[in-house]
Amino acid sequence: MIRQLLFMSVVLVLCLSLQAEEPLSFVLDIQPILTKAGCNAGACHAKAITGQRGFRLSVLGFEPQEDYEAIVKQCKGRRVFPPAPEESLLITKGAAIVPHTGGKKLEPSSEEYRTLVRWIAEGMPYMQPNEPELKEITVEPSRITLKPETSQQLKVTAHYSNGSSRDVTKLALFEANDSAMASATVSGLVNTLDLPGNVGVMVRFGGKVSVCSIIIPLGAPVDQLLPERNFIDQHVFANLKQVGIPPSPICDDGTFLRRVSLDIGGRLPTLDETKAFLADKSSDKRDRAVEALLNSPDYADYFANKWTSLLKNQRAEAADITANFAFHAWMRDNLLANTPYDQLVREILASTGTIVSNPPVAWYKRVKESTTQVEDVAQLFLGVRMQCAQCHHHPFERWTQAEYYHLAAFFSQIGRKPTAIAGEDLIFHKRGIAQSEHRKTGVMLKPAGLGEPPLDIAPDDDPRLALADWMAQKENPFFAKALVNRYWKHFFKRGLIEPEDDLRDTNPPTNPELLDAMAKHFTDSNYDLKSLIRVIAQSHTYQLSAMTNEHNAIDRQAFSHFYPKRLSAEVLLDSIDMTTVSKTDFADLPPGTRAISLPDNSYTKASPFLKVFGRPDNASVCECERVQSASLAQSLHLMNASDVKAKLTATNGRAEKLAKSEVPSAEGIREIYLTAFSREPSREELSIAEDYLNKPRNDAQDKPIDPARAKRMAYEDLLWAIVNTKEFLFNH
Amino acid sequence: MTLDTQKKFLPLPCCPCPFWDPTYAADLPFHPACELAWLRCRRSFQPFLTNKRTLTSRRGTQHMRNPPVKAQVTSLPASLVRCAGPLTLRRSFMQIGLTGMATLSLPGLLKLRAENAASPKSERKSIIMVWLPGGMSHVDTYDPKPNASSEYRGPFKTINTKVPGTIFTELLPMNAKIADKFTIVRSMNQTAGGHPAGTMQMFSGDPDTRDKPKPRFPDWMSVAHYLRSKEGGRVNPLPNYIGVPASSPEYSSAAYLGDAYAPFAVSDDPNRPNFQVPNIGLADEAETRRLSDRLALRRSLDTLERAFDREGELGALDEFEAQAATLLTNPNTRDAFDLSKEDPATRDRYGRNRWGQQLLLARRLVEAGVEIVTSNLNGPLCGRVRNWDDHAVNQHQFEALRFRMPTYDRCVSALIEDIYARGLDKKVLVVVTGEFGRTPKISFDRSTGPGDASGPTGTLQPGRDHWPRAFTSLWAGGGIQTGGVIGASDKRGEDVIEHPHNASDFLATIYHHLGIDYSKTTINDLNGRPVHIVSNGRAIPGLVT
Repeated sequence: MIRQLLFMSVVLVLCLSLQAEEPLSFVLDIQPILTKAGCNAGACHAKAITGQRGFRLSVLGFEPQEDYEAIVKQCKGRRVFPPAPEESLLITKGAAIVPHTGGKKLEPSSEEYRTLVRWIAEGMPYMQPNEPELKEITVEPSRITLKPETSQQLKVTAHYSNGSSRDVTKLALFEANDSAMASATVSGLVNTLDLPGNVGVMVRFGGKVSVCSIIIPLGAPVDQLLPERNFIDQHVFANLKQVGIPPSPICDDGTFLRRVSLDIGGRLPTLDETKAFLADKSSDKRDRAVEALLNSPDYADYFANKWTSLLKNQRAEAADITANFAFHAWMRDNLLANTPYDQLVREILASTGTIVSNPPVAWYKRVKESTTQVEDVAQLFLGVRMQCAQCHHHPFERWTQAEYYHLAAFFSQIGRKPTAIAGEDLIFHKRGIAQSEHRKTGVMLKPAGLGEPPLDIAPDDDPRLALADWMAQKENPFFAKALVNRYWKHFFKRGLIEPEDDLRDTNPPTNPELLDAMAKHFTDSNYDLKSLIRVIAQSHTYQLSAMTNEHNAIDRQAFSHFYPKRLSAEVLLDSIDMTTVSKTDFADLPPGTRAISLPDNSYTKASPFLKVFGRPDNASVCECERVQSASLAQSLHLMNASDVKAKLTATNGRAEKLAKSEVPSAEGIREIYLTAFSREPSREELSIAEDYLNKPRNDAQDKPIDPARAKRMAYEDLLWAIVNTKEFLFNH
Repeated sequence: MTLDTQKKFLPLPCCPCPFWDPTYAADLPFHPACELAWLRCRRSFQPFLTNKRTLTSRRGTQHMRNPPVKAQVTSLPASLVRCAGPLTLRRSFMQIGLTGMATLSLPGLLKLRAENAASPKSERKSIIMVWLPGGMSHVDTYDPKPNASSEYRGPFKTINTKVPGTIFTELLPMNAKIADKFTIVRSMNQTAGGHPAGTMQMFSGDPDTRDKPKPRFPDWMSVAHYLRSKEGGRVNPLPNYIGVPASSPEYSSAAYLGDAYAPFAVSDDPNRPNFQVPNIGLADEAETRRLSDRLALRRSLDTLERAFDREGELGALDEFEAQAATLLTNPNTRDAFDLSKEDPATRDRYGRNRWGQQLLLARRLVEAGVEIVTSNLNGPLCGRVRNWDDHAVNQHQFEALRFRMPTYDRCVSALIEDIYARGLDKKVLVVVTGEFGRTPKISFDRSTGPGDASGPTGTLQPGRDHWPRAFTSLWAGGGIQTGGVIGASDKRGEDVIEHPHNASDFLATIYHHLGIDYSKTTINDLNGRPVHIVSNGRAIPGLVT
């Protein structure tokens, strides 16, 4: 725009009349139009390999040269026709003058249309001489507080290398990172919806991205804030105050014990634990409960289950069993010993030797290709999804293809020697210069951390150690944040950044100060995982009730109340076993082995329960592989599957024992409630359950059933009803 | 000459024959000004075409990646100017398509569902896929080659069908009688020679030709199931995707969609007198009564506060629980599976055997509102190895066909007839195919064991091996034009010579019928990468309404 104005003024000075427009350039003027119209969207002409109907553009126009080639030269130049520019296929297709599967993308009356036509008429120049380069884009406002259901126009400015800038709002693309909270129109008008909290609107233009952070306050009075237990409360409560969402009160003791046992130990508290905890009158009993759980093997089991799944401890063949067990045991032992996280990651990343001598080598058994290694490491430990950049510039990020191969170079010197065990290699560092070939340009690239200059690594040094060094630097912008965000999500259901492993400038955290403070705590504690869990579990934020008040029911991301989580497949199975006093048998494992301590995915196959409730197959580095959504099959399973039925009626199970024992039914009901929900039944619940237990029962022929049997059946029914309630299925 | 006329008669150099460019796709319309030029130059290009690109390739599978252009040539010029045009788009698909890069989380899905629940639904289409695991020998059935030499031909005579000019072998008399009620595609081909990779290619479009233990991509059934459930608005308590039984369950899966989208599998033999479907209806009165008691007890005890349910999670759970309770207790849902409710004559028409009753059940289910049904024709009715994998070592190819084809002929023709007789032919599309055909050249080997349709161990017997380069699929109902033959294989049935259609086209056709915009719809994999449900496929033109 400014360029045009400058030019116009020159024109005016020269007293030349009518239009004299500055020559157009593909890079500067045409590419943004194509991007805005969506021509180079992944679903359209940027579709991999063939594009759409043979016309292929680069994803979101990150490769202008290729696109220029495609438009001007490919297809024997049929797509543009300078003698009659409006007859160019590019124009007639885009404006749907001839049939276009993609529909009408270009209005013949629009400025874009005229620009395209003029560009063709001018002979389709790629760039103009001395054309400035786009340096960055800025969005105004970049941080704003907007009331629910209001709107705000954004303004996007492009800044060029020659110091000039222009308003590109019309050509920029806008996208909110949470469509339930805000939406942005094509022209850059942001509309907030009725949900309060923080939302980001990503702005893209010419391969550059920027973000506008929006706070949508609820505006309710927040007068009575709870005391702050630690820095987590400080940041969460400050945010709650800012957005005006009053928090729920602290939850009661039983709820807390159940919650923290499930979150740290992956199990329900035992009957004795619950009784002791409820009876304990000391003020530090919650902290002590956290401590006890952190020191219990249950903690190591539960988190080893989480980590080995992400680290793909998968049984593909029966012979993998040694590797599976060794890796799982190694992970569990290290968690129990509280090995610092950076150390843990270093041992996996830079592992050498055989699995038997050094179990983390198992990771290299499963993750064999250097592309997968890069992608897994980036996503799991850095929270950066690099997959896209293998083939093209990352569409939402600053990562180029080159950065991908710089990172891949760290894994270029991994040597493998077959061992006596089929499929298992001995891993060693292969002497040589670490480098990796850029897929498109073929240039050999040296190792470099993300956003870092390339490193010169001596041929004798294992580049993976250099990678681990870079990751564990305190100032590394990804490593600590990725972990604390992942753990935050584990406890709070929702990450400060969502998805939890997608950290990028255009996906801002809902509470940036909190994320920074957590990362700082983590690095300051020398990557102490237990300390991180301790600080989370001790915070009042974590101990808030799941019950909402009149204002905060609407909140989904400010943590004003606890967000209930569904129990995972393993935890649910163990919990049902505990409630019904039964066992699940897993082949070749000692009887009584809990689902949470299963070393690998192979046991899922034999357990319809684990399968139907979504235990992951350890095939993905993403936690999303664990499907946590409800399904019809799950409901059917809980209600009527034979394995669940068998647990209810188990010999020596809770139903049988209670029915046979002399304890009054009220006592039996109390026991069930304390086990399943870690609380006493309410008076109403007690009377409903008692009535049910004492009701005489008839069989199908309406003949009364023997009272002993009837009582046992009634207990079975009660257990059935309890494990089928939401209160049981959720951690709340 | 004015500018206008100039435009009409543009000189050739700006617009050469599109077939020069291998990346050129057939439905890109001509530059309007060039259409005439094309018509004029067509003849002069013809020799070039036939020389440069042989219409029939002997290179087989490798060639199929770049399908021969013959189809494009013969269908000129009408289909060139013709454009598939925008498909009927549902709002949810549009949203996914347009924001393809954005992730669609569960809460997002639920939101989308809730939004869509309010919008009116157009009539929903259903599909029955009859799957022949192992692959049916195309040259012995729907694509006979009576003029091929005896090394290829096989022993079966050809018969005329209701459609003049179309011939089948004598193994398909009942099919022949109703050949006007379906269309066969004799130009199917894909690139994977093994059962796992071939099945995965047909089901999910995975182009990888190597056999893998597990699919990388979800099969079309789970994709359709997933997209349909996201759309919401379905009130029918029956599961929406049922396998009677599931087709090739070892090579197909919901992959990253999760097991929630896997089929509800009916694995019992529906021809057994005491056939039962677990979890659909309870066996006896006492059990039903007990479940009702339990449900009532739970209702009174399940008092957990629901105010926190912002993301609809509890709502979704409630919905599934209600559906499960209905499935277990409601006699109507049981009826959908109760074949005794069928007229015995109908049951006889399908054949009183496993396959016949499977297909009858499939028809009953779509009638009851199930939208995705697959049926696997395997088991003892196939012969010794219980599938269609007629290698000489497995079973005697021709004995095996003689053994199983009467059952096949009866049940498939019954299904097609029944679909039309009941007026389901617009709504329900029936597809019959396997993962590939069988090698046209007969091979001989020694039997590895006796059994139905296989000689004693060591007997030299004929067989046919895997053949993905050309095979036949059958399509009926779905409102398509029937009685046709699409495409052709060469004189021995080895390669496609006309209108080649690959697995992507197969999937595209199915999605098209279900009203799913296959060219735009993407589903994010576990890495959040949008994956197209069909890559570069196009609904088979003759099967599109």
